Amino acid sequence: MLNVTDLNAYYGEAQVLKDVSISVNQGQAVVMLGPNGHGKSTLLKSICGLVEKVQGGIEYKGQDINRLATEKIVNMGVTYIAENRELFPHMTVLENLKLGAYSKNARPHEKDNLEKVLALFPRLKDRQKQVASTMSGGEAKMLAVARGLMSNADFLCIDEPSLGLQPSLRFEIFSTLKEIIDQGKTVLIVEQNIPQIIELADRIYVMEEGSISFEGSKDEAFSDDHLKEIFLGM
Amino acid sequence: MSSKRMATIMGVTYGIAAIMPFFVGDIRFIMHILIMCLIWAVVASCWDLIMGFAGIFSFGQVAFFVIGAYTSAILSVQWNVPSVVAILLAGVFTAGMGVIVGLPCLKLAGPYVALVTFGVHMTLMPVLRGEIGIALGSGGSQGILTIPPVNILGYTFSSANQIPTFYFTLFLSVVCTVIILAVIKSYWGTAFLALKDSEEFAMSLGVSAFKYKLMVFALTSFLTGVMGAFYGHYIGMLSTRMLELDLFCTLMVMLVVGGIGRFPGAILGAFITVTANELLAPLGAYRAVTLGALVVLLVLLLPNGVMGLWLKRSDAEA
Amino acid sequence: MNLSEDTILLLLELTDVIISGLTNGSVYALMAVGLTLVYGVTKAFNFAYGSFFNLGGYCAWLMILATGFVGGYFSIFIAVIPLMFAVGYGLEKAMVAPLRKRADWENKVMMLTLGLSLFMDNLYVAVFGGRVKSLPTILDGALTIGEVILNYQDIMIFFMSISGILFFGWILNNTRTGMAVQAVAQNPEGAKIVGIPEKHIFASTFAISTVMVGFSGILLSQKYFISPMSGGGIMIKSWVITAFGGMGSIRGGLYAAFIIGMLEAFVGWQFGMSYTMIALFVLLLTTLVVRPQGLMGKG
Repeated sequence: MLNVTDLNAYYGEAQVLKDVSISVNQGQAVVMLGPNGHGKSTLLKSICGLVEKVQGGIEYKGQDINRLATEKIVNMGVTYIAENRELFPHMTVLENLKLGAYSKNARPHEKDNLEKVLALFPRLKDRQKQVASTMSGGEAKMLAVARGLMSNADFLCIDEPSLGLQPSLRFEIFSTLKEIIDQGKTVLIVEQNIPQIIELADRIYVMEEGSISFEGSKDEAFSDDHLKEIFLGM
Repeated sequence: MSSKRMATIMGVTYGIAAIMPFFVGDIRFIMHILIMCLIWAVVASCWDLIMGFAGIFSFGQVAFFVIGAYTSAILSVQWNVPSVVAILLAGVFTAGMGVIVGLPCLKLAGPYVALVTFGVHMTLMPVLRGEIGIALGSGGSQGILTIPPVNILGYTFSSANQIPTFYFTLFLSVVCTVIILAVIKSYWGTAFLALKDSEEFAMSLGVSAFKYKLMVFALTSFLTGVMGAFYGHYIGMLSTRMLELDLFCTLMVMLVVGGIGRFPGAILGAFITVTANELLAPLGAYRAVTLGALVVLLVLLLPNGVMGLWLKRSDAEA
Repeated sequence: MNLSEDTILLLLELTDVIISGLTNGSVYALMAVGLTLVYGVTKAFNFAYGSFFNLGGYCAWLMILATGFVGGYFSIFIAVIPLMFAVGYGLEKAMVAPLRKRADWENKVMMLTLGLSLFMDNLYVAVFGGRVKSLPTILDGALTIGEVILNYQDIMIFFMSISGILFFGWILNNTRTGMAVQAVAQNPEGAKIVGIPEKHIFASTFAISTVMVGFSGILLSQKYFISPMSGGGIMIKSWVITAFGGMGSIRGGLYAAFIIGMLEAFVGWQFGMSYTMIALFVLLLTTLVVRPQGLMGKG
């Protein structure tokens, strides 16, 4: 479904990604691990057209999407859920969700998706009229995920959903992610505070210093001592 | 750019200007254009120092020029102050105005600085034309028509003896631009570059952005005021027409042509623009239209001015 | 209560001043809302704003010349509003958007738009001549309440600018594009993420502000007149209102517009019109010293 080949990304002069190649098949859940600041977020952003200087191939459903404007990529069914949420602070929960369905392909499904999303996040249902900036960190994170789902995307790039959340909320995020994956969405997720996430993964990548240092199934990951020690906390 | 290279470009430009009277000394019209080039080279350089190096987006340069010109003219016409003293006093007064304007706005974000300084510009016209201006001796909408020429030890520099006046202007222009060059290459200039890179980092080193900005604002206001004052004495008359957008945009064209923050590009820009503006004169009513269109096109198409073009080529050769 | 003749005259004069402050203030509000919107969303500082004010006036004048005022102001608004939108949209795409990639683009935009205003103002002089032009009044007659005379023209100006503001407010809160405009203002990155075409929104916002100032231009020009070089003053006035109210704050801009409309009317009445610009400038300086973020700005 998604094929990234030899991707290089830069912020100004600094090269952040070096010859990164990954692939995600339809319906898969792929987990990306690695130390902070080594380019995981940049990879997700590059896929969604949010990084200015990107060289290499990004193919989605057989079409080259590198250098397409973000709105076109979103319209093809790819969405990015940001680690720092990127909500609209002075708008209500409902307005944020409705803007999540801004792209053309999402508009016809706005009502259905809203129902689905509110069923998935019952907490948001009670707070539809609340202004986003007054929400707690956990609720805001849920809103960000919910807004991403409103885009009717088949392919979700989820960036550290548990970042900055207290442990009790992490489990809630985990079960939501599980539900999303069970619904058949394709997911590329950066997450390392929830060890159980590995259980959901069809495939695991590790990124270090802007390059992929490991790729394999979860069984292979478990048999790699280095990985086990550093990232899986075992 | 190294200071050596800057000085070389300035030396060549002024050197060529200095030998011009040997070829065209008897063509009054061309000599007049050359004198104007020399005057505007200073004003444009001042603006470049403020905008391109200190990063202050000031739109008050023409206003300060006019303040200097009127101050000196009023002093010498109303109070019979000797022209040289009047010019210096005008410079000091303009610098004071610069500080008064700078105090409230230099701590604020760019658009506010632009707004306040442009506000000074826009307010100056009604002040000079209105009762306040007339009371001070601005001559209202008619302006001041009888400004005595600069007189040093009995020798007058006026349009009657153009060649000595030209060399006197050249001297003034060189002195002022050398001061600007010295500032750019001094501790101030380095501080400004640091501030541009990262205001936080520079402040952690003890560079007070506000203090430096205010100082550079005062200095450039002084130089601009002095040139404005000299301009008034040279031309012999002043009116508030100078405050129309026309002149303002001409000055801006000089800067865009020369390249912002590409000193001494502003000097080259002044020479090119003043000359081109004279060539556009036959267009009559459409001259200002053309000038406006030029600003738009140059901003879009010539991001770093002629200096940018030139530097790119020499970089490619290196 | 017995009032002396003088007191009655003074009160009547005062009423006139207040009416003039309110009508002008309402149009200023329309202009300021347009400017604060475009600054809040696109961060572009438009120095040619006042020239678009006169563009509205001249378009109306040309239309009357061409069609002989068929359909009155209704048909003028129908024709001029889309035209202003197209001009604004095109200019943003052609001139502001290409600068956005540059490091110091905000400064470049100021310089460019200043050049644009020189171009436009002098083009008006070259094409229409330096003399002022007048437009037919929007509604003749007056309402007389006791001694007070209320021109229908003033009532119409007030009514139309307020409905203009309400209409733009409605668009902003109730249409998909309006919500997208707010989204870009609140969080540009977030707006990109949900697939809002940023460039289109920038151009649209610029175009909307052009419509608002052009509409204001027609409203005020039919009361006073169209003068080709007045753009600079209009622009400064709009900016002072915007800065006074707080950059990017629509509600602040509204309050500021009425305060400044009143201030201008009172200063003009007491000291003469030539002092209004000075009063505005003093107000701006005081605001920046006392409360740099403006009345309602977030600081």
